[in-house]
Amino acid sequence: MNKWFRSGSPWIWLSAGGVSISLISVLGLLWLIASRGLSYFWPSQLYQFDLMDEQGAKSVVIGEIYDREQIPVSQLAHLDLTLDPEQEVLERLLIKTGNRELVSLDFRWLLSHNITNTQTPDDLVVVERRTNGNFYGYIDSVVVDGEKVANNQLDELLTRVEHFQEKIDVLQKSDIGAINYQLERLRLKTRKYQLDNKLTAVAQAEIDSEIAILNQKYAKLEQELLGYREEISRDHIVMRAMDGQLVTINFEYILKVSFNNTLGLMDKTAMFFSQVGAFLVDDPREANTEGGVFPAIFGTVLMVLLMTVIVSPFGVIAAIYLHEYAGNNAFTKLLRIAVINLAGVPSIVYGVFGLGFFVYMVGGSLDQLFYAENLPSPTFGTPGVLWSALTLAILTLPVVIVSTEEGLSRIPSAMRHGSLALGATKAETLWRIILPIASPAIMTGIILAIARAAGEVAPLMLVGVVKMAPNLPLDGNFPFLHLDRKFMHLGFHIYDVGFQSPNVEAARPLVYATALLLVTIIVALNMTAVSIRNKLRERYKMLEH
Amino acid sequence: MISISPKALSTGTEHLDKSPLDLTNLSPEQIALNINNLSLQYGKKQALNDISMAIPKGQVTAFIGPSGCGKSTLLRCINRMNDLVDDCHISGEINLHGNNIYGKHVDVAELRRKVGMVFQRPNPFPKTIYENVVYGLRIMGENNRRRLDDAAEKSLRSAALWNEVKDRLHESALGLSGGQQQRLVIARAIAIQPEVLLLDEPTSALDPISTLTIEELINDLKKQFTVVIVTHNMQQAARVSDQTAFMYMGDLIEYSDTNTLFTTPMKKKTEDYITGRYG
Repeated sequence: MNKWFRSGSPWIWLSAGGVSISLISVLGLLWLIASRGLSYFWPSQLYQFDLMDEQGAKSVVIGEIYDREQIPVSQLAHLDLTLDPEQEVLERLLIKTGNRELVSLDFRWLLSHNITNTQTPDDLVVVERRTNGNFYGYIDSVVVDGEKVANNQLDELLTRVEHFQEKIDVLQKSDIGAINYQLERLRLKTRKYQLDNKLTAVAQAEIDSEIAILNQKYAKLEQELLGYREEISRDHIVMRAMDGQLVTINFEYILKVSFNNTLGLMDKTAMFFSQVGAFLVDDPREANTEGGVFPAIFGTVLMVLLMTVIVSPFGVIAAIYLHEYAGNNAFTKLLRIAVINLAGVPSIVYGVFGLGFFVYMVGGSLDQLFYAENLPSPTFGTPGVLWSALTLAILTLPVVIVSTEEGLSRIPSAMRHGSLALGATKAETLWRIILPIASPAIMTGIILAIARAAGEVAPLMLVGVVKMAPNLPLDGNFPFLHLDRKFMHLGFHIYDVGFQSPNVEAARPLVYATALLLVTIIVALNMTAVSIRNKLRERYKMLEH
Repeated sequence: MISISPKALSTGTEHLDKSPLDLTNLSPEQIALNINNLSLQYGKKQALNDISMAIPKGQVTAFIGPSGCGKSTLLRCINRMNDLVDDCHISGEINLHGNNIYGKHVDVAELRRKVGMVFQRPNPFPKTIYENVVYGLRIMGENNRRRLDDAAEKSLRSAALWNEVKDRLHESALGLSGGQQQRLVIARAIAIQPEVLLLDEPTSALDPISTLTIEELINDLKKQFTVVIVTHNMQQAARVSDQTAFMYMGDLIEYSDTNTLFTTPMKKKTEDYITGRYG
């Protein structure tokens, strides 16, 4: 035994064990969120359950099986079930039944004991809707312009409606959005003239005429919009729910009608990918519990990129000063310790700082100086994407400084001396020799900064993230990038959907899917940075002496 | 250190057919550098004691001496590389064209363009061979492609490297062998046409064949430049230099033409050193 200890094998086992545990936990985490998240997009089988309760009353339940669990019989004693005395556990199913206009809850527990018959009829459909969630049932009839038509025309009709929906989206978002934006600018212009006491009758008339033109355009677009609306609300389908009730659903609200039980593997795969695609590019619906997460993806990536653009130059400059120019004295040491400790400050503290300093102080002053016409409603004096990026830049600054400094100190002094001996000044040496060689280390700092910033949520809740942002920070209206706008963020989206939504159970798969997406995006951002770093490393690789 | 008899060292014939310079009485035109009463301290440690010497133009001057004798320190004083060391105090002067390089208004970068330096270990930049050679010129603001190309070729030829690298000028300099790298560094130093070239033990990290190539190169270089070389290898000093200075514990013990120093040293310490009693 003693010999075994001295041979060093226990330490090898111990370290290998440590590595395995970390690896298993990482893979396990990825597997969990990937399987839970991706199964959300897989079209599930639709079931019709015939039930009979203890009193002999019969009923029918239609829906998807959402979860199964085994419960001990002893827990169900109060139900007075007639059971086989040998039986110790019972299976219980969680069924997603949808149909929110008929029953208040989307979900329902069924004891398998009560199920007399389970079928998967081919004509059972799930209707995905813009409001009220899914509807499960049978198609009773399809009504076009007040007249019943054959059910097989459904696809054609859906395509027609989709086409109009797209037109409406474009009209609302870009055309009408642009007019509203211009009207708002004109209002601010008038206000500015008033504040400067320059509002002459001529200027007023000019603005009024512009407003009149815009209003005219608006009226025209509104007419067009109403026309489209009428088109899409022309037809409806009548659905028969599980209890036989007939429900009319207008095409206006229908996103998709699918006969899940008739789908083959290929169809299901195709549908899976189209659902994943929709998740990535669509806007959220119904308090974020349905639909896609595009604005959150966009907000996360934009904020992280902005943060990177801000933190890299500042971090590098600070590190250069500390390493190259500041004397090696007690004060520099203190400064270095302060920088390192900055990395340990809880992120919410940065959030509070960002709110107090950036939003209220800097933003408030900017508003007074440049956006006075918009007051009392703030422009920059309110949380926004710029302040979020700045706050996270400060949060990640120590990471960039520390790794850049490390990179600078790893460069052999022979490089500096070689350059200086050729008549280069210190600044020229830094710029032409030192920084290029240190660039992989700088990239490492940036990678760490991105990894930290992309996952940070707490400070953002104070300085710019919202549950639902009406506009993206980037759009077609001048100046295109609106840094004052609030934005959505995947991390906050997870929190919001998972814990703040009205229907937590329904939103749970969405939480996993969003988490998976967040991890994927962070990994993608990191991989980009890592590949840039590897290219740089290859280029400036030092010859081992 | 192997003991070498003075006779064995004097086999180099090129020194014999020239009449040695009178180092104590050079005319101003013959002098490249004039060192006057130079003393240097690292913190409290005295590294150079009141050194005075004149380094003649167009010749190779070698500094020899045991480790820690201050020969490299003296060399680094000539292009002010010691400025980079904290706690380094220098008194006395070094005159280049009659101007003290430690004077108040001296542009150190300008000085280093006139006094180039090659270090002990080859230190090519992680750039292409071409970019290494033209680095100094680019620093001086030269961006004309033709002039850079010409200068690169000329310097590489002077450094006896052109034939080996002419087909791969735009590959990384780090792919060259140690000896090639050292010649590249010499090419880089002479590309900006310095007046004086300082070589700080340029062959100590190289194999014997590369050492021989560099030594031959030094012989060619003195046609264009004044060369000052630090070496701990006495045979090398004997082979390549015209003048040799022997230093010991920060003092300049003896300075005379190489033949005289190795055959008939004036000082006991010099004799002890070249015959291998210590070092």
